[in-house]
Amino acid sequence: MKKRTLQRGLSTFWWVTIVFLYLPLLVVMLFSFNASNSAANFTGFSLRWYERLLGNEQIISAFWNSLVLAIVSSVMALVIGCLIGYGMYRHRHRKLGWLIVLIYLPIVLPDIVFGISEMAFFVSIHRHTGLLQPGLGTMIIAHVTFQIPFVALIVYSRLVGLDATLFEAAKDLYATPFKRAVHFLMPTLKPALISAFFLSFTLSIDDFVISFFTAGPESATLPIYIWGAIKKGVSPEINAIATLMIGAVAIAAVLSLMFNRKGRY
Amino acid sequence: MTNPMPAPEVEYSDPLDDTRERDDAMPREASSIELKGLRKQFGKDMVALDGVDLTIEAGEFFTLLGPSGCGKTTLLRILAGLEDPDDGKLLIGGKDVTDIPPHRRSVNTVFQSYALFPHLSVRDNLAFGLRMRGESVAERQRKVAEVAEFIQLGSLVERRVDQLSGGQRQRIALARALVCEPNVLLLDEPLSALDAGLRGQLQVELQRIQKRLGMTFVFVTHDQDEAMVMSDRIAVLDSGIIQQVGTPSEVYEHPVNAFVARFMGHDNLFAIQRSADNWVDTDLGRLQLDAAQQRAEQQGWLLIRPETLELGGEVPPGYNRLEGIVKERLYRGSRIEYRLEINGVNLMVVTSNLGQRLHAVGDKVTVSVCPEDLVRVAA
Repeated sequence: MKKRTLQRGLSTFWWVTIVFLYLPLLVVMLFSFNASNSAANFTGFSLRWYERLLGNEQIISAFWNSLVLAIVSSVMALVIGCLIGYGMYRHRHRKLGWLIVLIYLPIVLPDIVFGISEMAFFVSIHRHTGLLQPGLGTMIIAHVTFQIPFVALIVYSRLVGLDATLFEAAKDLYATPFKRAVHFLMPTLKPALISAFFLSFTLSIDDFVISFFTAGPESATLPIYIWGAIKKGVSPEINAIATLMIGAVAIAAVLSLMFNRKGRY
Repeated sequence: MTNPMPAPEVEYSDPLDDTRERDDAMPREASSIELKGLRKQFGKDMVALDGVDLTIEAGEFFTLLGPSGCGKTTLLRILAGLEDPDDGKLLIGGKDVTDIPPHRRSVNTVFQSYALFPHLSVRDNLAFGLRMRGESVAERQRKVAEVAEFIQLGSLVERRVDQLSGGQRQRIALARALVCEPNVLLLDEPLSALDAGLRGQLQVELQRIQKRLGMTFVFVTHDQDEAMVMSDRIAVLDSGIIQQVGTPSEVYEHPVNAFVARFMGHDNLFAIQRSADNWVDTDLGRLQLDAAQQRAEQQGWLLIRPETLELGGEVPPGYNRLEGIVKERLYRGSRIEYRLEINGVNLMVVTSNLGQRLHAVGDKVTVSVCPEDLVRVAA
């Protein structure tokens, strides 16, 4: 009897958690299709807010900024993070404690601290050299820095899971260092790299705090635009943007998971 | 992902069967190997190889035998180029290859873990070495088909690596190395992960493949039975030093020291207290020896192989005669093993099971041995 009560309690807890997590998202998605601009009553289905989105130049520009930022930063993070992950693997027998902490640190550092320090850094460089004008460029650099640890860790864990004699087998079978990279390392890492790319992409699309501090006047991304627009109240237009972003991030996250799982076998 | 049941092992058929066409396209060029004063140390005090001099003849099935940590795997890895020696020279086919990287040596390895590439099909695994060497697609296809037939891979080439059983992986790993037609093939305990039956079958098959191709095989194992069954010659290693090199019968019947004797499975070793021209004193008592066993040194060990002892019956003239009590009897089917106690020490006796009356535990028995079968072994 007691056990059943406990089980029922746990099951209720689970459903409450799910509701708190997903109900707000569902409401946003639902009201993005609302015919009226009321945030309380759903009066009928319509796509007018999506049409309005397409007509809003600020939103379109924010969308392109977000997309360019996410793709460019993810590709750069992929290259650098992959090299770091491989380096961590190659030198795993040495004592790398402090170095590993340095690589992990951006993951646990509060975004706001990270964002403010990046901003201060970019501003002072700009003041002294004229380089690094706040804008898409500085945002890309900032995003790359917080994406790198995730890529490095995914690559590293894939390599650690491999039979180390595979590297030796490739050497033994006449593969030069370059051919080893092309015919062994890259194909073996491919699922991990695709997964890391989509994770980086998601993190970048998601990010508001770091983008906010490193952006310039012309480089507002979707989260920054939403934050600005919301001061005037939540419009159904915002719901429509939010719904599109949920869709994009969900697709990227699922792809990331799919490729990571594929790589295990 | 579902993992299908491993397919049954490929039926074994005799590669020496002369009704099959001999395919002369398979490699014939074997290389000799010379090691000169090879040294290898890991860290400050872990000496893996302590000055190894060794010559392996072209076309020989040569086994490096020793307990784990004796340096045999390090030696093999130096031959492959996967490890650099600290000192000494390595010549393959008369050429100094000490500083040649592994991908430029005509040497291939069958790894203990097989090391098949999981991202490639069996066919692409087989073709990997040829592809890396830059051979044409047509050449690759021809050679892979040839080796698949030679090793009797059948339909395995179409499979994915994760669909293979242990024995099948082992064959693919062997085929992947053979298809490159190396001058030397290295095998790092390739059978150790297989069950006993399959292992015995592959021992025979490996030996036949080696004889048929005439390729130089260097085989590493810690199993003395495996070494004796397969090898032309065996090198027994301990603590980074070669203890003895010889044919299986030389190493088994005339071990040069107590380590080799024990490693080859001998239990009947007795410390020699005193010796003269043709006798020694041990805990068993005074035993007559063949004059050929005469040694300068007084000490050392006396080796009595358990199968040379005769239990009961008439003692022929000139034979050593001992008396003991049966303490233990092990019935092994084709043979019977007895543990006797003589003067407080154990003596193992192995007799063939010819249907004779068995001795019971507690029986007092007579043992005889020909002086020529007693071997003196250095400490």
